[in-house]
Amino acid sequence: MKKRGLKPTIFLMKNRRGVILVENIIFIILNILFIIILSLFLFRQGNGAVILEQSYAKNIAFLIDSAKPIMEIKLNMEDALNLAEKNGISRDDIVKISGNLVIVKLGEKSSYQYSFFNNVDATAYPDIYPEKNYIIKISGYK
Amino acid sequence: MIKMKMLDNKKEKNQRFLHCNFFPKNRRGDKILSIYWFAVLVIVAGGIFAMVYIFYGAPYDVRETEANLFINKVADCVSYAGRLNTNLISGGKFNQTFSSNFLGECHFIFGSSEWEEEQYYTEINFYKPEDSNNPVFSINAGNNKWGRYCPIQEKKEEEKLTKCVRKSFYSLDELNNQYIIKILAVVAKTKKNAKM
Repeated sequence: MKKRGLKPTIFLMKNRRGVILVENIIFIILNILFIIILSLFLFRQGNGAVILEQSYAKNIAFLIDSAKPIMEIKLNMEDALNLAEKNGISRDDIVKISGNLVIVKLGEKSSYQYSFFNNVDATAYPDIYPEKNYIIKISGYK
Repeated sequence: MIKMKMLDNKKEKNQRFLHCNFFPKNRRGDKILSIYWFAVLVIVAGGIFAMVYIFYGAPYDVRETEANLFINKVADCVSYAGRLNTNLISGGKFNQTFSSNFLGECHFIFGSSEWEEEQYYTEINFYKPEDSNNPVFSINAGNNKWGRYCPIQEKKEEEKLTKCVRKSFYSLDELNNQYIIKILAVVAKTKKNAKM
């Protein structure tokens, strides 16, 4: 008698059921591992020193550009401070303001600088409490 | 029986041909890591790596925000709370000294050790409400080279060179004369904001 319709899949074969289950489990585990590795890669890329340095340098430059004398700006830099600590960079060396340049350093070999147009005397130093903040102080016009 | 055995041998041969033999002794692994499965893994991983590289490889383009900040600062300098700066205009007459010392008057610094040339340009034109085509007074500051790129920003490559922002508003002088002020602010900083 000729069989009609779909062929029975391998899942329905009685004598091979156990083998197929193990295969499926390995397949799922491999897939999960693959997704985890890719997610870790994406997370590391998004939170890497190079990306954070750039975003913080530009952010601080804009804060200074929009600020006026005698302003004190508190910026939450928790992720940058954690990364700097991990890379052995001192809290005081993370943000430096030299002339009209903001320099952010979060890695041993990396740093990023961005200039601002507001001709003010600005200084940056880490806050004592809470420790996750950085303070940008605008003393006056140059 | 012989026919069945022959068929089995043929099936086995096909399987050997179709599957990459990474683990010759482990047939289960052999089945899972077939060449197709491996190819799919490589394609997906390659695609994601390429997307991440393209996304994070290009710098954040913040020039439009910077140009907006710049234009707001310029506007605050020439006119504050709806009144023109008295250093700029007094007795209905514009002060040329303000124009020549614009950077000092408005507390701007366009040069930096980061760049060889100035990366900003601004153009401020003052018009009477009855004639909005011919300015009664103009101020230019910064690198004029960047201002020339604004009208030709039709192609994508040229759009990357500079960011130009325009704004206009009304203001009064001390004699209550009305003026239309049109400001153009240009930020270059191409290397730091665009992948060329």
